[in-house]
Amino acid sequence: MRIIADYPRCEGHGLCVDQAPDVLDLDDDSELVHHYEDRDLPAELEEPARRAVDSCPVAALRLG
Amino acid sequence: MTSTIPTYRPDLYSRSAVLDPYPHYRALRDLGPVVRLPRHGVLAVARHEDCRRVLRDDAVFVSGQGVGLNRVANRVGRGTTLNSDGTDHEQRRSVLAERLTPRALRGMRSEVEQRADAVVASAVERGDVDAVADVARALPTSFVPDLIGWPEEGREHLLRWAGATFDALGPLNRQSLRTAPSALGMLRFARGIARRRDVRPGSLGADLLWKADRGEIERSACPALMIDYLAPSLDTTISAIASAVLLLARHPEQWEVLKREPERVPNAVNEVVRLESPLRAFSRVADRDTEVGGVPVARGSRVLVVYASANRDERTWEDATAFDVTRDAGAQLGFGQGVHGCAGQGLARLETQSILTALLRRVERIELTGTPTWGVNNVIHSLERLPVRLVPVTGGDR
Repeated sequence: MRIIADYPRCEGHGLCVDQAPDVLDLDDDSELVHHYEDRDLPAELEEPARRAVDSCPVAALRLG
Repeated sequence: MTSTIPTYRPDLYSRSAVLDPYPHYRALRDLGPVVRLPRHGVLAVARHEDCRRVLRDDAVFVSGQGVGLNRVANRVGRGTTLNSDGTDHEQRRSVLAERLTPRALRGMRSEVEQRADAVVASAVERGDVDAVADVARALPTSFVPDLIGWPEEGREHLLRWAGATFDALGPLNRQSLRTAPSALGMLRFARGIARRRDVRPGSLGADLLWKADRGEIERSACPALMIDYLAPSLDTTISAIASAVLLLARHPEQWEVLKREPERVPNAVNEVVRLESPLRAFSRVADRDTEVGGVPVARGSRVLVVYASANRDERTWEDATAFDVTRDAGAQLGFGQGVHGCAGQGLARLETQSILTALLRRVERIELTGTPTWGVNNVIHSLERLPVRLVPVTGGDR
């Protein structure tokens, strides 16, 4: 399972970071940082990743 | 096919249902994923998972035919970001959201925090206040019209106009007819502003006109975009702040949690918006034959997405009617979701969080001193009056 981020759509609300801090972060400029870009998530991060996708208020994240 | 969809006959927009909608929402959720509302000629979707799906599937459930419940509003609303689809929407939304994203708002954070603190300090000084007028309304009305660039003239009408603009998105009932002149008043005023160009320099409105000058957006879109900015920027945030004060007055144990752990404030704001969602519902139109929760929905059907019901869905939320600032409320749909998700939610969160933070710092406890009254509006769910006593923390004004 992967998280696919739509960067132009991301507005930096940061709700995903609260859900899956090991997967996603915002840098000092509030730009999205994806620790598993183009990589499969380890099993223990799948559940937080799902919640992160669900929490994005502008649907900039999806599972792939 | 129609026989598979249950029917719910009570009027969701009667005065009594508007004042206490939750039993109706529960009945809708219990009837099934899709429920026919014969009075309004729409299909209601009231469960969390299904609402989410409709909101996120913007290619099937379109906004271009309006998101209200009557033809007049759905026609008048053309040209707004709310009522558009696809690349058209994408372009309007990016113009609208550009300066409202949390990213863009970082520079405003300390200013909003200071304003919120001043609002709360002045209310605490008085002690016995109406938390709607003296706290919830005081913050957004003190700077949001300036941010948008709305001229000084006409500001006294703003709250009435904005409320009416939301009323107009409900069904054609006594309420929307009563307030229709105010909704048109706002539209006329916005057209005047775009024509006279009397917006504050540096404001979001000035940006819009500048972009129209450069051909980045159509000039004719400016009045609608001004309304896109203004109408949702006041009542919704006012609703969230006032509901937060009420919930924290009624649940002192939750107030204590936030006192001990103020880092929970952002989630507490989500929880307030979940439990007392400022927006009841908007609609979409199915652009093709589809299904919701396994129920077939025919092309052309208007689907009412009841956010305020989704946020209390027992299927998603444990002990759904309990106010609990420690629960994970991140999946609430009060700001909508997907491409039409509230463009101003970063600002709304910032304002509400700033008020709560100031209250936690300056107030020992909040006591209800009278009966709260709810406003009557087809779309906005908001307190009208909230008499409280703000008991200051002992040992100085901090």
